Amino acid sequence: MGKHHQNLLNNLEDYRKKAGLTQQELSDAAEVSRKSINAIENGIYVPSTVLALKIAKTLKCKIEDLFELPNT
Amino acid sequence: MNNLIEMTYFKRFLIVFICGFVQIFYAAYLLLNLFGYSIELHISNHDLFMFFPGVLVFVGSGILTASYYLGDKKNNNILYDEYTALRYYKIAAVGYAVNGIGIFLLFSIQDWSNWNFQNANNMIYQIAAFAWLTFGILLAIFSFGDYKEHRNG
Repeated sequence: MGKHHQNLLNNLEDYRKKAGLTQQELSDAAEVSRKSINAIENGIYVPSTVLALKIAKTLKCKIEDLFELPNT
Repeated sequence: MNNLIEMTYFKRFLIVFICGFVQIFYAAYLLLNLFGYSIELHISNHDLFMFFPGVLVFVGSGILTASYYLGDKKNNNILYDEYTALRYYKIAAVGYAVNGIGIFLLFSIQDWSNWNFQNANNMIYQIAAFAWLTFGILLAIFSFGDYKEHRNG
């Protein structure tokens, strides 16, 4: 698990590294800026559904593998 | 023409920063004059020079709008992505809040017991200059942050 947003836990950095992609390569594939990927990985920003789906598709995993709600 | 509307982070930084800086200069100049502090630079309201900030912002925002609608779609998805939109939204929200406080203060300091057209005219200028100053500062800050994040963030 990477750094988390208060409303969303994320595994993005782990999955991206497992896929052998840099932030730049992932952002190019998902058609988004590199700083967005960086902000998501660092728990600064919660992505929209469309962006989360694009990232999951690029990393060939399910959206639930990348993101989960914190236990309240 | 294509070169003009194909946007990059650096071009966006330049456009937004120059517009913000010029807004700060003119708005600060006008506010200082309205409050009776004259600097040793005289810009007449009959001078073409006074049209410069308006024309610059009009052209700058026109280029940004054209690049958004007519530029390369893939490039624009990256340049104008949702994280950038969120930053614009936050900047605008701060701007409106500061302007709200500013307008309240400007209303409070008017001499209402001696109200006339001259005072009303001055107040309108003060509000306009304050709004330009606020958004000029926020645009300059945004342009730096946006470009710095692109390089390092």
